[in-house]
Amino acid sequence: MSEDNATVPFSEDGWSPAAFAKAAFLGIVLIFVVTPLIATLLGGLKSLGELRTNPFGLPQVWEWENYAGILGSKRYWQLLFNSLVIASLTVVITLLVASMAAFAFAHLHFFGSRMLLNYLTMGLLFPAATAILPMFIKVRDLGLLDSYFGVVLPQVAFALAMSILLMRRFFKDLPGELLEAALVDGCSYINFFRYVTLPLSRPILATVGTITFVHSWNAYLVPLVMLNSDSLYPWPLGIMVYQGEYSTEWHLILAFITLTILPTILLFFFAQKHIIAGLTAGSVKG
Amino acid sequence: MGLFMRGFLAAAALALSTGLAAAQVTVKWLHIEANPAQVKIWEEVARDFESKNPGVKVDMQYLENEAYKAKAPTLLQSRDRPHIIYSWAGGVLKAQVEAGVLEDITAQVQNFKASLSPSAVASFTIGGKIYGLPHTVSQVGFMANKELLAKAGLDAAKILTWDDLLDATKKLKAAGITPIAVGGADKWPVHFYWTHLAGRIGGKAAFDAALRGQDGGFEADTFQKAGELFKQLIDLQPFQNGFLGFKSQQAIGHFGDGKAAMILAISSFYHTQKVFAADKVGISDDKLAWINFPVVPGGKGDATDTLGGVNGWLITKGAPKEAVNFVMHFISPDVQKRLAGGNFLIPTVTGAESGLGSAFMRNIAQNIAKSKYHQNFWDQDLGPSVGRVVNDATAELAGGTMTPRQVAKAIQDAFKQGN
Amino acid sequence: MTALSLRSDGSGKLTTLVLFLPPALMLFTLFVVLPIGEAAWYSGFNWNGFGVPVNWIGLDNYRFVFGHKAFATAFKNNLLIIAVSLLVQLPLALALAIILADRFRGAVALRMVFFLPYILAEIATGLIFSFVYDGDYGLLAAIYRVFGAEAPHLLASSTTAFPAILLVIVWKYFGFHMMLFIAALQGMDRNMVEAARIDGATRWQVLRFIVIPTLYPTIRLSVFFAIVGSLQLFDLVMPLTRGGPADSSHTMVSFLYNFGVTRMRVGFGSAVGVILFVVCVTFAFGYKRWIMRDE
Repeated sequence: MSEDNATVPFSEDGWSPAAFAKAAFLGIVLIFVVTPLIATLLGGLKSLGELRTNPFGLPQVWEWENYAGILGSKRYWQLLFNSLVIASLTVVITLLVASMAAFAFAHLHFFGSRMLLNYLTMGLLFPAATAILPMFIKVRDLGLLDSYFGVVLPQVAFALAMSILLMRRFFKDLPGELLEAALVDGCSYINFFRYVTLPLSRPILATVGTITFVHSWNAYLVPLVMLNSDSLYPWPLGIMVYQGEYSTEWHLILAFITLTILPTILLFFFAQKHIIAGLTAGSVKG
Repeated sequence: MGLFMRGFLAAAALALSTGLAAAQVTVKWLHIEANPAQVKIWEEVARDFESKNPGVKVDMQYLENEAYKAKAPTLLQSRDRPHIIYSWAGGVLKAQVEAGVLEDITAQVQNFKASLSPSAVASFTIGGKIYGLPHTVSQVGFMANKELLAKAGLDAAKILTWDDLLDATKKLKAAGITPIAVGGADKWPVHFYWTHLAGRIGGKAAFDAALRGQDGGFEADTFQKAGELFKQLIDLQPFQNGFLGFKSQQAIGHFGDGKAAMILAISSFYHTQKVFAADKVGISDDKLAWINFPVVPGGKGDATDTLGGVNGWLITKGAPKEAVNFVMHFISPDVQKRLAGGNFLIPTVTGAESGLGSAFMRNIAQNIAKSKYHQNFWDQDLGPSVGRVVNDATAELAGGTMTPRQVAKAIQDAFKQGN
Repeated sequence: MTALSLRSDGSGKLTTLVLFLPPALMLFTLFVVLPIGEAAWYSGFNWNGFGVPVNWIGLDNYRFVFGHKAFATAFKNNLLIIAVSLLVQLPLALALAIILADRFRGAVALRMVFFLPYILAEIATGLIFSFVYDGDYGLLAAIYRVFGAEAPHLLASSTTAFPAILLVIVWKYFGFHMMLFIAALQGMDRNMVEAARIDGATRWQVLRFIVIPTLYPTIRLSVFFAIVGSLQLFDLVMPLTRGGPADSSHTMVSFLYNFGVTRMRVGFGSAVGVILFVVCVTFAFGYKRWIMRDE
């Protein structure tokens, strides 16, 4: 690992045995974490035969065709497109619906507001899987089976609780004088929400949006149950089908995995602030 | 005039079946065929049908076997389900009929069905109504690699009884050869052992008695004995290393790669062992032997009884009539002869088996023709819930986590739960 | 604030409420609350999902679930995940957080790398590790070959499949818990640590008596997430083992999927769902009451 030098923690102890132990510990964890990932990336560049004899090292012959073949296939782009549509719709609807509700809970004091908020927070207590069969029947009865919305709406519903909580807290923390002044000036709540709250809330919208996106992008169970046509499959479903077809041709499967996780990794590097903030959001207040 | 004209046109189109209707009809066809060579022919058949029926488009969709079985129950509940789906008939078909998701096509296939094997058509007939058409039958037995058997001093033709098989297993092990490949992860390849043994021990009578709940149903002696005999084989550790993690396709590939001497196969593995072999060539015909499932001395089953599939295509509720037309085209003598000529299947069109290209497949066709009791795969025949439990339990037996007695009880319990 | 609490004039409070609340409430009720209620209702029937449920069998489905060998295994496996999360993953995450909360060259990069597995889809992770564990082509097989041994097929044996999944769980989730701890450590009052050091406390004492106690709320949170995560684990199991071999590696959700959804036994699957729901809610309330009570 070429990074070893950079990872040695130069604490005030300098090169003490403790510092060395730390460095060794970090090194082992690093190897544990990255080996499968690097082997996956490189495995997609090898032939099946070479993968068997040389799964760790750099390819002796760089088989770019593995990647090129997938990138040149309609199938790959179709999967990404479907995932993108489903995740984007989920994000847009979640942001819209959750921000409106959060605004109401943050600023409109009304009878039963606490109770309704508690009602919505129940969504945090159990996973979507518990009611997957009745949810399936519901989606079927609504005629939404095998459609983008059959996946999007349940995903939105389960994203609401956390989104509303996060946004409500953020909205409440915005300076209260703003709202008072606006109302005195005859501004309606709706206009205030539209022209003041939302523009000021970009950070929380970005955070909730990113995290909703990642969850939807990676989701498997709900699309698995709701979708039938492979033309609508998001990539986690598609890659499972792909793996079923090419069961032992690991070089192709590894190339496919690499290409499907690449967007996630890119997103992570561009939006890491929001992802980490969103995913660890609960920690701020518990 | 609009209505009248339209009605007239529709009638004319129907009568001439030339697809005068301007509207585009898309027939959605869901298949599970994994062999690209066969799929290629199917695609040609579809394009051929399209060219003969202007305005009709055949849209092929593929799902892998296990994925299809897992998906089918939810798939069928969708409004825009595929029009043509794959079926193994049996209790699963019956449940689908009861659920009301299939189309009664009796009238449309009235004349056509005469060209098919009557028993195969009967499998797709429930309560006097036809819901689908069969395109192939198959037999379960051991496919063997003669070369590997010879290394252990064995001859495929001499493995006739269960004890012969146990003996062969021991000899192969001693010679350092993996005796049998099996796709334990998919479970159904394992259930063939238990169910075929039960058939050999008790014959049709025992199966029918179990269905009637006699003698403790599936806990009767026949089924206990089947478990015990299977256990004798399991105890010899006949399967490849890690067999419970192998999907069927991988196990077939394992055999095709020459890494195991035998595989308890469906006759269609004959062509898939080439596809799933690493070199795409597999075991050549001269090295390939077929061993009918060993008999159990003293058993009530006849040696000619066969276990196997009757496979075909179901038409789902609300499908356009073109879907039925396409299936009839697909099972027309020309197409059946072509597929038989490529050794992809044992055809159901009467007489088409003469077109079978290889001696191997002709032998299978004769076995099935001779059989007086062709038992459908149990996991399909017993219906969606019970059948799957047979698979679950026999896989556990093979994995050493259930005893023969527990297997029989689990199946009987599921049967009593009756869903 | 008090000034506007009772006004319903031009500001349009009522209109806003009527417009803003129903979408969230409707979606939530339709797809979250009603299905849970329906699950309770359906669980009393033997029903394949077609038409309406008519075959009432009372509590039989619960009897079938509890009598099912694979369900007992699944339940045990869920407990195992929790145990490993608490005994392996949490200490690992804590140790790494304490090291990486310090500023040194590469610390931020390492945090990112360790967090990376968490954002990868479970499906992709599962596939990657089914390659790692593959007895013929996998990384593990290669390591065994170096020593001239034949690799075990970890995922193909009832005794090793689930432990192999547990390792993947640690790989995938420790980074998340590490980040939780790092966030908490960065919010910690540095002066206290400095003061203690000046007073001659050893590093260990600082850790034991200052750092860890300040992390207690985060530890509780981490435990909460670990347990909730365990109860809903499904996506990882599918690509690795699909619950096999011989149904030895199911979790409760994968059990629900395999025995309820794919067999369309709506009543049976709903009963599993209700059991899972009761476990989740009991746990959540119990946890809140007993462990977070001093907040």
